[in-house]
Amino acid sequence: MSTLPATQADRNQLPLIQQIISVMWPSFITASAATIVFFTIFDPIELGQIGGFPSLTRMGGYTIGFFCFWLLTSMSCAMTCYFRRPTNRQARTNNTNES
Amino acid sequence: MSDAAKQTDATLDSELYKKREKLYPREVHGIFAVLRMLAMVALLGIYYGLPWVSWDGHQAILFDLPARKFHIFGLTLWPQDFFYLSMLLIIAAIALFMFTALAGRLWCGYACPQTVWTEIYMWIERKIEGTSKAQRKRDRGPRNAAYFGIKAAKHAAWLLFSLWTGFTFVGYFSPIHELWTNVVTWNLGPWETFWIFFYGFATYGNAGFMREQVCIYMCPYARFQSAMFDHDTLIISYDEKRGNPRGSRKRGTPSADVGLGDCIDCGLCVQVCPVGIDIRDGLQYQCIGCAACVDVCDDVMDKMGYPRGLVKYTTENALVGKPTHLFRPRIFVYIVILTFVSAALAYALLTRVPLEVDIIRDRNALYTETDQGLVQNVYNLKIINMDDKPQRYRLRVSGLEGLNVIGQTEGIEIGSGAVIDLPLRIEIDPIALKASSSEIMFHIESEIEPEALSIDEHARFLGPVMR
Repeated sequence: MSTLPATQADRNQLPLIQQIISVMWPSFITASAATIVFFTIFDPIELGQIGGFPSLTRMGGYTIGFFCFWLLTSMSCAMTCYFRRPTNRQARTNNTNES
Repeated sequence: MSDAAKQTDATLDSELYKKREKLYPREVHGIFAVLRMLAMVALLGIYYGLPWVSWDGHQAILFDLPARKFHIFGLTLWPQDFFYLSMLLIIAAIALFMFTALAGRLWCGYACPQTVWTEIYMWIERKIEGTSKAQRKRDRGPRNAAYFGIKAAKHAAWLLFSLWTGFTFVGYFSPIHELWTNVVTWNLGPWETFWIFFYGFATYGNAGFMREQVCIYMCPYARFQSAMFDHDTLIISYDEKRGNPRGSRKRGTPSADVGLGDCIDCGLCVQVCPVGIDIRDGLQYQCIGCAACVDVCDDVMDKMGYPRGLVKYTTENALVGKPTHLFRPRIFVYIVILTFVSAALAYALLTRVPLEVDIIRDRNALYTETDQGLVQNVYNLKIINMDDKPQRYRLRVSGLEGLNVIGQTEGIEIGSGAVIDLPLRIEIDPIALKASSSEIMFHIESEIEPEALSIDEHARFLGPVMR
């Protein structure tokens, strides 16, 4: 339906700040959920001792864990955006002309 | 929503990604503005006040991350109780779906943090910068000392409020009284400092700058809420039949005399809209249902001497003259699910025993035989005391005749929230064994309150079978 024109339109018209938000924001939500589930099961202090960081506090562990998750999820979001680009140069210019 | 959604589908794609122009929503007075203000005061009051409330000698609501336990008034939850919190979230989600089906975007217009904080930030903005008209004039005017002075004052106020918001947020996760002491003595830990600034910055950005863009581009709920809509859902709509054709006329002129509808085309409904749409174009996905246009239009109708309600809360059925049904199958389904899940949660919470025991069999040997010819199994018990006070437990083992427990079975003391490992040997005369694997039962109970605090755990006892 209208999904295809939308994906074409967004790449051509989306301002940079919105492109960044469309990667960082969904990944933020999923990273938050992942952090909650992960640290419900694992205690950061125990993980720190296993991993060789005996001085790690819990707050520090949660924070580092959250940002690691966010890094991962934002990478996968960014790759999705990247792979949605048509590989064909012709198709790309056509899209620009259409919209 | 369906018709309106289809109709705007094409324009939607282009509008969704247009360059944003700053909105200057005009201040509005009226019944819904008062309701919004009340909701804002109540919700912000709860948010900023709740961490300071004490209950039974501890903070009433504290998701104590450093100690890995959650206090919710009289209830203390541990990571093992994650189940209850996820059930609570499911209840909240279904309740949101039900209210959306009934009353449309009530959540968006009155209760969403984004709306509430935007409202308070706009209030601060108005107090410092003046009316929306004055703000627009200033932004288009010269960049002189007065301009920068007033902008600096606004941002300073916003930033202070943001930092307080961030501080309160961290106060839900780290005891707030200690946190405050650490703030005033300039003694804050690095992680707490970081989260106060992170959350403060997010508030400052979302409520000060992003505003309606959060609803339009970032909010997943705004995108899927139309799925809950039907023709009986409460929406805000302009009465096209009554309003069109639009046109200006002298105050007090009956519409029929000038051959126009009741809409005088004053454009106030557009000026007050916080998301910058024209409600007269029909139902739009950007509309957060705040009813600012309802208030302002009713005011205009009063001045013109026309009946109120040209823009009003209504349903699609009511607009075409059909009756509106409050109870319909989907509402019934939501109520049934909600009742069921809430009852399950209540039951689970009421029967919750704040004690957990994990029994791990020794993996090195299935069983050993002692010098006396008895069969021996080794177990390791992990006992977690999830009560808010220290406990003393005793245990007994049953299931096989004549079994003998070697190890501590009485006066097992465990502090609140602590875990202990308790190694136990169980030996038995092999004649009593009927199978190579038999079920045995560990019964652990509190010595202080054995009625209220006891738990049964099954385990296997392995041994040779005598034939």
